[in-house]
Order: sequence, then structure tokens, then C-alpha cells
Amino acid sequence: MSAAGDVALGYEPLAEGTGRDGRLWIEPGGSHVVPAVSAAFKAALLSAVLELKPRRDVRVVVLGAELDALPPKARAGLRAQVAFLPANGGLISNLNGWENIALPVGYHAPRRLAGLAPAVYAMLEQFGADPRSLLARLPEEMTLYERKLAGYVRMRLGRPRLVLAEDLGGGLGVGERRRAAGFADAYLADCPEGTFVQLEDVADESG
Amino acid sequence: MIGVYRELEGSMRLAAHVLRRFWVLRLPPVAEEFARQIYFTGASATATIVFRGALVGTLIIAYVIDVLNADASLAVKMLLWVVLREIGPLIAAVLVIQRSGTAVATELALMKISGEVASLRNMRIDPQDYLVVPRVFGIALANMALTVYVQFIAVGGGMLLSAVIVDTSLGELAGSFFLLASPLDLVYSIAKSLLFGAAIGVIACYYGLNPPGSSINAVPKAAISAVTQATLAVMLLNVVFAYLVYGSALFGLFTAAQ
Repeated sequence: MSAAGDVALGYEPLAEGTGRDGRLWIEPGGSHVVPAVSAAFKAALLSAVLELKPRRDVRVVVLGAELDALPPKARAGLRAQVAFLPANGGLISNLNGWENIALPVGYHAPRRLAGLAPAVYAMLEQFGADPRSLLARLPEEMTLYERKLAGYVRMRLGRPRLVLAEDLGGGLGVGERRRAAGFADAYLADCPEGTFVQLEDVADESG
Repeated sequence: MIGVYRELEGSMRLAAHVLRRFWVLRLPPVAEEFARQIYFTGASATATIVFRGALVGTLIIAYVIDVLNADASLAVKMLLWVVLREIGPLIAAVLVIQRSGTAVATELALMKISGEVASLRNMRIDPQDYLVVPRVFGIALANMALTVYVQFIAVGGGMLLSAVIVDTSLGELAGSFFLLASPLDLVYSIAKSLLFGAAIGVIACYYGLNPPGSSINAVPKAAISAVTQATLAVMLLNVVFAYLVYGSALFGLFTAAQ
């Protein structure tokens, strides 16, 4: 087993045949792509990392800390530094673009709301979206790329140190895929000590 | 039986969470949800709810006067005791269950099934804080306002009708009504309507956040459970209130029946 100190994200089953087989050991900093992630492994990994509950069957390391060794308060502090970007953006359907993006800031740090707009506009423009239009629309009126972008901007505002992005390019056209590929670089330019992990789905070979 | 106990316990826990965390209403996104809920349950429903409430209130008075061959004094007592204290809060609550109870349970069940509740958790937002607290307080306040509207319109309509049927002047009826009514009547119906609204909100949120399955079929089931249980809860609360206010009279009725 490796030491936890120099690991941004570690996931290691402690017993074979648990149905959650698969190992992940990611160094801190930079952008990492984890290819061909099965749905079962992804669900187990995300559950372990996002719920941050100690588990007997897997060893989980997040930002250099062994989950088992952390007291609950420290786990909550650690969770604040981890963000998850779902494949569909994870937006709330009855909130428009702005309300979705500002939601976590309004809940966790309402005082930051006043100065939020310029940063949001800049990020949306950087990735080719019209901020006025996107921020006024409901998720059902957005394209998949716009939903991913809104989710990404919302995630960036939380200033996480570890980002788990699910199937970033999935379902996008060539141009949009190219733009979405820039999400990691833009995040790392803003947060050089951060780690951006992309979990790519198993390719669908049925078609 | 275990299921009933679990649902009751879950609803009580949710109610306790709402009371413990009421302060989250000052957070901007929660305050917006609160305002939306008041608008949806209260403002946007006013016309239909008040119209139906007034219709039912007036019909009750017409029926009672006709069947009991009531005089002006009895008509006024009926307006105060039946329409103002009992029927007003009950009509508003039943209409709020039909409209907002269904909507809230459906909306939350859909959010749960589509992963939006999980999405809130991913953002470290407690779904009970963001979804339940504003809905419960919003429905309680809106239900109180609607009850006052229904009472006003139903009593007004009842008085107009009584004046025509009993052949007494409207001024005389209104004078007798205000002589008989006390501020306690208002306090009683306001307290009742607030509690009815809170119960409707908690029950609708509980069933919405705990749909019986993860397929789309679970959504109407959650709505049906919410409506059924909220109606039952309102009826039970009404009995408790009635016992507190007319306790000895009720007890007298029961012993007389035996």
C-alpha cells in the first residue's frame, strides 16, 4: 500500500470480490483522466469520496488524509474541498441559470453573492456562452453543453481543491467537446494546487 | 403497522428539523424558495380557493337555515361557531392539500428520482434545509392567509344570504355577529390554520422526499400518500382543537350518547 500523504485521491478495495473492484491512486495537482470507468466502480468511488463515511471494505484517501483516521468534523472540512461535476451538470430544474450557479454560494457564503456576477460572466464568456441568455434560462431550455458549463461554473465558485468530473465530453459535439476539454486547464490556471480528475464512462459499443 | 410507525416517526423528525433550523430562511436561496411557496400556495391560488370556500360557506348557511328553520340569532351563531371557527380553516386546509400538498409531494418526488436531491447533497446543501423548511413555513403562512380570506368571504356571503332568507337587516345581523364574536375566535382559527398548514407541508415534503421506489411510478404514489395522510392529519388536529375548546361539551355529548 502507498503512503497517503502524497495522494489527492486514493481508492483501494481491501478485499477481493466485493463487487467494487478497481483501484485508483492519483497524485496531487494537474489534470488526470481515468478511462473506461464502469458504472458500478464509479458509484462505489463517488459514494466513498462524496459521503466521506469510513468504510471497512475500501481504503479511501482524500487530499492526503486517510478517511478512517479522520474525526467527523475534519471529514466535513475535507468535504468542503471536494467537488463533483455530474455528466448532466447537476442543475436544479426549477431554477434558472443564475439561480443554479449562485445556489451553493448563497447557501454557504451569502456575503459573497454581491461580487459574484463578474466572475460568472467572465467564465461563461471564456467558454463561448452568452451569459445574459444562459443565466436567464431554465435547465430544460439549455443544451447539454450549457448545462455542463453552468455546473462547471458553479463548481468553480466553490474553490475546491479536488474536482471529480463525470464523463465531461459525453454527449457533446466535436466543437463543444473541445471547449469542455478546456475546463480542467482553466480550473488549474485559477487553482494551481488543485487536482482535476475526469472519470470517463465505458464506451458504448452497442451502436 | 411498522410502516405507519416509520412514516409517523419520519414526519415528526422532519417537523423537528423544521423547528430547529427555521433560521435558514434568512439565507438568500432558501428565502427565495419561501417566497415562491407563499406565492404559489397563497397568492396564485387566492381566487379559486376563496371562490370555492365562499361557495361552500354560503351553501352551509343556506342549508342550515332552511333545515333548522333558523332565526337571525341562530344564523349568526352558526356563522360564528360553524363557519368562522370550524369550516373556514377546514375548507382552506382541504383546498391547500388538494393544490399545494399534491404539487409539493410530486415536485420533491421528481427531484429525488431525477437525482436533484443528490445534486443538492453534492453541493453540501441539506435538502431538508433548502426544500422542506421554506415549504413548510410558506404553506403554513399562506394557509393562514387563505383561511382569513375564506372566513371573511364565507361569513360575508352567509350574512347576505341570511339577511335575505331570515328577513332581517344586514346591519342587524352584523351587529349581533360582532357582539358575539371575540378576539379569541380569531386567535383560535389563526392558530389552527397555521398548524394545519405546517402539518400539510411536513407531510407533503416527507412523502415527496421518500417516494416508494425510484421509477416514475413512485411519483403519483407519493402524491396520493401525501394527500391521504395530510387530510387525515388535518382532521385529527381539528378534533384535538375541538376538544381543547369545546372539551366539556364534547364529553357531555359522548356520555349522553351512552
